[in-house]
Amino acid sequence: MNPNWAEENLQTIRTLMERSTLYRHALAPIMFLAGIIGVLTATMGLMLHLDLPRAFGALWLGSAAVVIAGAFIIVRRQALKNNEPFWSPPTRRVAQALVPPLAAGMILGLIFTLFPTSEVVDFTLLLPFLWALFYGCALHAAGFYMPRGVKWFGWVYVGSASGALLFLVVVQPDMDISAHWLMGFFFGVLHLAYGGYLYLTEKGKNAA
Amino acid sequence: MNPEPFLQLDRVIHEKGRLAIMSMLAASPELSFTELRDALAMTDGNLTTHIRALQEAGYLAVAKSFQNRRPLTTCSLTAAGRKAFTEYLNLLERIVQQNRPQ
Repeated sequence: MNPNWAEENLQTIRTLMERSTLYRHALAPIMFLAGIIGVLTATMGLMLHLDLPRAFGALWLGSAAVVIAGAFIIVRRQALKNNEPFWSPPTRRVAQALVPPLAAGMILGLIFTLFPTSEVVDFTLLLPFLWALFYGCALHAAGFYMPRGVKWFGWVYVGSASGALLFLVVVQPDMDISAHWLMGFFFGVLHLAYGGYLYLTEKGKNAA
Repeated sequence: MNPEPFLQLDRVIHEKGRLAIMSMLAASPELSFTELRDALAMTDGNLTTHIRALQEAGYLAVAKSFQNRRPLTTCSLTAAGRKAFTEYLNLLERIVQQNRPQ
């Protein structure tokens, strides 16, 4: 018998216990918050014609900061309400899974919007796809410690961003579409749809 | 190596699938059948068999209700189940300590 079996068993138990508890209760309101802010930001971008790279980057990175702050408050309130520690080991693991892809997306966003040097590629139009892909990867990674639907939601981002990019590059290369429409769909509509799905499928008592 | 702690391990909990179910439930007040099935990637039949074994041992309570007019089965650990799980963990810790090089 492998002498480390007991240690491996303990590690498995620890992982399973961590996977068993998490933000499940606060997910629907976070999705609604992200969706509403996503739609509002896209509307603002379209109405005010914030299409230059710097304005586009500032608008959407600012919007992301508002969503992250709002999500933080929702999760903290939920933890306080349930008498649970906010910065618990599972919370830390989810944060650790989310941070690398989100940071990569943010860094690329900053580079592309602050230094849009290419005359050939419209970085502003490229960013929604890159952000959606990175966000999808972040959700998939965090999904290991969250309900199974989060992983699928991550795949929705990866699939829809890849599909839409392929469509624009191969099928309709001349299509004139504002990046705000794409952002509104990826980060507004998809969040609202998933929030609605969670709201309808979660147990009533779990709704935050 | 002293085989005593190993021999004391609860055979009902020691099985891989049942240990996974107990671990998940030890960290949550209750979990639905679907949540357990999805998290542990088990088939309905496999999970039902394990749940029944744990229920017969008195470690697990099963509650049936309705949510949005659909049947909802939720599982939770009983006090005896929680105690047995804690003892199982303590024995594992002892075995780990025993195997550690001095």
